[in-house]
Amino acid sequence: MEEQNSRTQHQDRIKLNVGGKLFETTVSTLLSAGPDSLLAALSAREWDNDPVFIDRDPEIFSVLLYLLRTSHLPSTARRFSKQELTEEALYYGVESQFKAAILPPPLSGIDASLIETIRPASDGFPTAFTAGAGDGSVWIAHGGQISGYDWNLLHAGTIRTHLDSITSIRRVWPEVAAVGSDTAAGLHLYDFSSGRRIESAQWTDSSDPRIYKARVLSITDSSTSVFASFECAHKENCILQIDKSTLKIASEIGRLPGNSSKTVVPKKLTYLPESGLIFSSAVSSGAFGYSGFIRLWDPRTREMVWETNEPGSGRSSRFGDSFADVDVEVEELTMFKVCSKSGDVGMADLRNLKDDPWIYLEEKNPSLRNTGGEENNVIHCYRKQVFVSREKGLEVWSRVEQIEEDVENRDFERRCYRRNFVDKVENCREKGMIRRMEGGGDRLFVSREGVEGLEVWESSDLSGAVSF
Amino acid sequence: MPPFSVQNQSYSSNGGFVKKKSETNVITINVGGQLFQTTKQTLTLAGSNSLLSTISTNSNSIPFIDRDPEIFSILLSLLRTGNLPSKSKLFDLQDLIFEAQFYGLAEFLVSSLSNPSQFEAFNLEKSLILPLSGRDSPSAISTTNSGSVHVAHGSKITSFDWSLKKKSTILTHFNAVDSILALSPSLAAAGATDFSGLQILDLKRGFVRETLNWENQTKSSSTVQAIGSSSDYLFTSFESGRRNSNTIMVFDLQDNFRPVAEIAHGEIYGTDLDSAIPATKLKWIPSYNLLMAAGSHGGPSGVMGNIRLWDIRSGNVHWELNEKIDCFSDVTVSDNLSAIFKVGVNSGEVYFADMRMLGRQWICLGDGRKGYKGKKEGAGSKIESHGNQVFCSKGGDVELWSEVLIGSTRASEDELDERVFKKNLIGRLKDSSENKITNLGFGGNRMIVTRNDQQSVEVWQSSSKGY
Repeated sequence: MEEQNSRTQHQDRIKLNVGGKLFETTVSTLLSAGPDSLLAALSAREWDNDPVFIDRDPEIFSVLLYLLRTSHLPSTARRFSKQELTEEALYYGVESQFKAAILPPPLSGIDASLIETIRPASDGFPTAFTAGAGDGSVWIAHGGQISGYDWNLLHAGTIRTHLDSITSIRRVWPEVAAVGSDTAAGLHLYDFSSGRRIESAQWTDSSDPRIYKARVLSITDSSTSVFASFECAHKENCILQIDKSTLKIASEIGRLPGNSSKTVVPKKLTYLPESGLIFSSAVSSGAFGYSGFIRLWDPRTREMVWETNEPGSGRSSRFGDSFADVDVEVEELTMFKVCSKSGDVGMADLRNLKDDPWIYLEEKNPSLRNTGGEENNVIHCYRKQVFVSREKGLEVWSRVEQIEEDVENRDFERRCYRRNFVDKVENCREKGMIRRMEGGGDRLFVSREGVEGLEVWESSDLSGAVSF
Repeated sequence: MPPFSVQNQSYSSNGGFVKKKSETNVITINVGGQLFQTTKQTLTLAGSNSLLSTISTNSNSIPFIDRDPEIFSILLSLLRTGNLPSKSKLFDLQDLIFEAQFYGLAEFLVSSLSNPSQFEAFNLEKSLILPLSGRDSPSAISTTNSGSVHVAHGSKITSFDWSLKKKSTILTHFNAVDSILALSPSLAAAGATDFSGLQILDLKRGFVRETLNWENQTKSSSTVQAIGSSSDYLFTSFESGRRNSNTIMVFDLQDNFRPVAEIAHGEIYGTDLDSAIPATKLKWIPSYNLLMAAGSHGGPSGVMGNIRLWDIRSGNVHWELNEKIDCFSDVTVSDNLSAIFKVGVNSGEVYFADMRMLGRQWICLGDGRKGYKGKKEGAGSKIESHGNQVFCSKGGDVELWSEVLIGSTRASEDELDERVFKKNLIGRLKDSSENKITNLGFGGNRMIVTRNDQQSVEVWQSSSKGY
């Protein structure tokens, strides 16, 4: 009778002996590791007086048990390297909890700081990079090499491609990168685990012998296709759709002669999953300033849905101040552009495109008002925030949350954006001009002209207090 | 390694726990007052010579070991996971080695810290500088598999052990050692181009164990031009003191350096100096069972040389290539890539010849036209192969050549050659140095570099693997 009593009392308790140290915990704590984990498997067995023996280091186990109990990491975790903790978490099958505890909080542009600079061991100038996996991992193309860094920013490996300078890269599958170069022909798919080229695609036209050795300028992908913009030596260009299951060219979209700035090859391609459209844009700068276009293509009909050219034919309210860069916020279907002369940021609703859809964001703070004259702006939209680089500096436009009864964005015009600097003045001193930005997971990656390595910006909930 | 075990139970492969009355395989050890528990399987990983494997056999009472428990916990972690835990950084590597020697785990520690499989060619960073005493720059280096390095500088040879924490220096008979080859961590063969005989040196005690000579017809001295080895044989390229005859001697490494054969005997008659060029580089190619011997010679009409592949059992030349245009400055063979690589003395470009198609000529991996110009851009360049890569020094930089695997059958569409080798520059901006590289060596997970006018040795390894 008494035995049965103690049995029910201890029903959900479990003892573990890890490397000679006894741990006692509850079945529910172990089950929170998830059904496939080693610990959940142990808790499932028939209750017994003998503790289960696990031949591992007890100190790291205590960290991971703390993680399971409280779902955050104890301060003692700092005694171990990221690598060690990752390996042990993988061993016990608690990597999802570990990831949740160690990954940075959601990226907020108004509260982000430079966490580290990833530097590949050799040829350390990133020529392109992709954070497309969305878990905070990044693949950096530097010269002809691709270096992978996992979600923990640990070096996962480096492969060498046959290209000498990769200028566009996109991770199209978890282990496959699509790469292109502005000095060599074709789109190439490389398997990262084996380092082998699995397929390549070239733009050819049996009726036009001039279409050969076309180079790839930009790549994007949907769940079923890879899209890449190709350009021939005589500037003729198009967007090719490559089917992901057959790896063959499925269709040719938007073939243009490329003889004017309105028909050059798109240098930016973004797939809009909600509408299935492809956003393409290009900017050229000449003696008379910047000029560029934005086009939306429907890959199913291969037809253009909408286009705008700047400097336009007088339609734009800001004639003569054409955009220097443009990007699209995929989640909210909003385009953002940065003007080349004034440096102003304009936005346009993709669901309501007109002849002049642009609304210019106003800066009310007189000390932050644009003075104009900046060049080489880069704009990147990520998680409803708009990151804009001004030469070396980095600023962010973020939306002020408004409590309004109608959630439907009827008042697109009334959305309130505020502008803030992400970096400090000393951050951008002695650094190069920002060349590319891309968000991935809860990180923002920034590469600069002539600077080795890739900057990683994260938000943090730690105060970072400095004691004297 | 067994993941876990249950006392009085065993974990069956079908995923359930089956009750089984058998003796426990969990072992308890008391080290310096702290109790550790582990499994028999983990302790047997230490090897049969280890103190720990003897513990695992008698488990009547808790064995007591009177040592420091903290270092033991590090070594136990090493046995469990194969990696050193980060808290090992609190201790000096020397402490770990000392304790590992006590437990008989020294070899295990070597293989986990300096394993050739951990060599990451694309992730090499300049991580250590090993200073050399005195004023002589390194003239020759040799490495062992475990990563220990022997450096000849002047008449001295300094040996660094695998951990690169300890060194010892011995004095030799040579004015300057021109070639050195490590036979074991404590034994090396050394020779010079101005001193007769190949000396087998005991580097621990610093004496000459044996002097090997070549009895040439002119009865003059025999100087050493190059040393090479296979797992069974030691190869030495000798030249007579009068410089009119040369040969390659094969000595048996298993049988006290007994001379086995003499191959490639050459004599110079008259003024035809190119008829017998002594080999200055010897490389054994295990999978082909061939010895590559290469020598070059600078004359009024430029640099001439030859590369020969010898079958040492028959003493015949398997394949021969005479170098007249853009002769090699250095040449190496990669067994993994099945190719011979050279760096041209005129062009400074890297060439390769596929071992599977030896009839074909060199394929230049750069601008082959430069070879016809009289410049000497490749003079002094070194080329060495390691793993699946080829490393070539150009002045103060190291180039890494790697093969790109092209899976697509449409390679011809891209106008790619059958085999694609690509150049990568090693190191970051801050690592670049003006001083010309004089030697490249590979051992364990490291690349060893010596430079002109620098009384030190550079160690390059991947950042995550350095201690």
